[in-house]
Amino acid sequence: MSYGLLIGKNLTRKMLRSFLLILCVAIAFFIYSVLSSFQKSFEGAEATVERLVVTNKIGSNEALPISYWNKIRQVEGVESVTHISRLRAYYMNEFNVIGANAVDIPSFYEMFANTYSFDEHMVAAMTQKRNGALVGRTLAVKEGWQLGQKITLTSFRHFNQDGTQNWSFEIAGIFDGLEANVDTAFLITNYDYFNEALVRGKDVVSIYGVRPHDPQMIDSVAKRIDQVFANSGSETRSQSEVAFMKAFMNQFADVELIVRAIVSAAFITILMIVANTMIFAIRERLLEIGVLKVLGFSGFVIMLTIMAETLLIFALGALGGVGLTALLMPILSELLSSIVPGISLSAITVVQALGLAVIMSFLTGFLPAFKALRLPIATALKHS
Amino acid sequence: MTLDTRIQLQDVSKSYRLGKSEISIFDSLNLDIPAGDFLAIMGPSGSGKSTILNLIGGIDRITSGQVTVGQLRIDNLSEAKLSRWRAQQVGFVFQFYNLLPMLTAAQNVELPLLLTAHSRRERMERVNTILDIVGLDTRGKHLPSELSGGQQQRVGIARAIAMDPQILLCDEPTGDLDRKSAEEILDILKILNTEMGKTIIMVTHDPSATTYARRTLHLDKGQFVRKELEHMA
Repeated sequence: MSYGLLIGKNLTRKMLRSFLLILCVAIAFFIYSVLSSFQKSFEGAEATVERLVVTNKIGSNEALPISYWNKIRQVEGVESVTHISRLRAYYMNEFNVIGANAVDIPSFYEMFANTYSFDEHMVAAMTQKRNGALVGRTLAVKEGWQLGQKITLTSFRHFNQDGTQNWSFEIAGIFDGLEANVDTAFLITNYDYFNEALVRGKDVVSIYGVRPHDPQMIDSVAKRIDQVFANSGSETRSQSEVAFMKAFMNQFADVELIVRAIVSAAFITILMIVANTMIFAIRERLLEIGVLKVLGFSGFVIMLTIMAETLLIFALGALGGVGLTALLMPILSELLSSIVPGISLSAITVVQALGLAVIMSFLTGFLPAFKALRLPIATALKHS
Repeated sequence: MTLDTRIQLQDVSKSYRLGKSEISIFDSLNLDIPAGDFLAIMGPSGSGKSTILNLIGGIDRITSGQVTVGQLRIDNLSEAKLSRWRAQQVGFVFQFYNLLPMLTAAQNVELPLLLTAHSRRERMERVNTILDIVGLDTRGKHLPSELSGGQQQRVGIARAIAMDPQILLCDEPTGDLDRKSAEEILDILKILNTEMGKTIIMVTHDPSATTYARRTLHLDKGQFVRKELEHMA
């Protein structure tokens, strides 16, 4: 016999009720962890507040001159700069849009070495093969591409010197994300090869990626960059990767708002169900609470046991919900591969779910527990 | 040896507020119970019998007066101190047993021992000893619902004496039992009084139960109306 056993016995005295409560909580946390994973993957798990994205101030679809590259490198506080140009291409049929970017491989490698599994062999291979392409694992698996395979993408916008919109590449490497939820459903190719072959729209890029010396100074570095190009032909807008990704995704839908609305609705419902059930459960036990107080248990100890009971309900529910998400993640990943490639349950989502479980258990358990604390013994004993 | 657990109620008044009116249960009640006594209190319903038990056990508060147990005034103790004192000094036996239904007989008896620093092994030894005293050594693993009324009340008594308190407060302990079971319970209480020196205060409606007590007091309308010494050796 222990307090743990007493709490467990209280919880299991009405098995069906406890099971249904835990199931409700588990469903809420399943919804939370799936939607949270979806949101994180949708907004780009590889995005970081420590790097800047510089786009054209008019919009991220407008180009910036390649001449900005050197100018941004000279801005105070900038450690390194890379640039990315979108090919806007498809493979085989126009519904199969491929994320393809022309980049400066050495600077891209330096910028994203802590995000993707690039290595110097890949960089060397790309230097040797001007038409080489490094393909992310998710994309390679999806298309069934192999190392050394030649692929032809068709750009929606960019014409090649041969008069077609076809761009041929040879796969020089396949890379992974260094974390499970990093999006690898894209490929990169040499900017110089792409730029030289363009019929028009040469010497421009889509965006610049910037890493400041000091991540704490990211805002001031962003301001300095934008000041350099103020009143120029192509003014810039610099923001963190996270802010950029959010703004980019919000063009389609405010995923964060949708996720918050659904999760809030689920949690508020659960909050009311559990709080209501706990109040009824404690009301059924008033006599027992009185007996415990007669035996010498303080109101505070009784209050703690009730709160521990709700904590147990939420802990079991949260673990069940998160566990189910982890179990189903491979299936979800497969089903959602075209929308959110590389969706996965991150450690931060698990920690957030468990933190929410603690908060929710406090919110639902406190009121009935406090009532038990304040309950006069003589009143409680009248419930016999 | 009997510890100093003399119980004194001096000029005790108790009233309840019911809406706008005040209902008086006692007014200037005095009672002196020496250590080791076995006192039966009789009286009609609503006369205040159970309230006296509640006041002595510190589970209800007096309106005025003084309640002393041994050298300690308990009427002005804080709830936390009262809880600790009650756990050490007082055992309660209820008419309807009030066992926790999801715990076994042994676990019900062990419950108050959770408040001590005893190890699990020490607690189990104590539980087994007490269950043996009340004649339920083979029923420890049974749930209350698997026991008869008499057996449940024995578990109730075992739980009440688990902490080895000096005072036992019994609120109609035989009120829900048949004659045979009632006599068995009263026999146990008698043994606890005569052989273990417990001070027992028992509220009852049953005149035959009072024959087990050393003395009986009759309470009516908040006053002791008749005192009689009983025939117990």
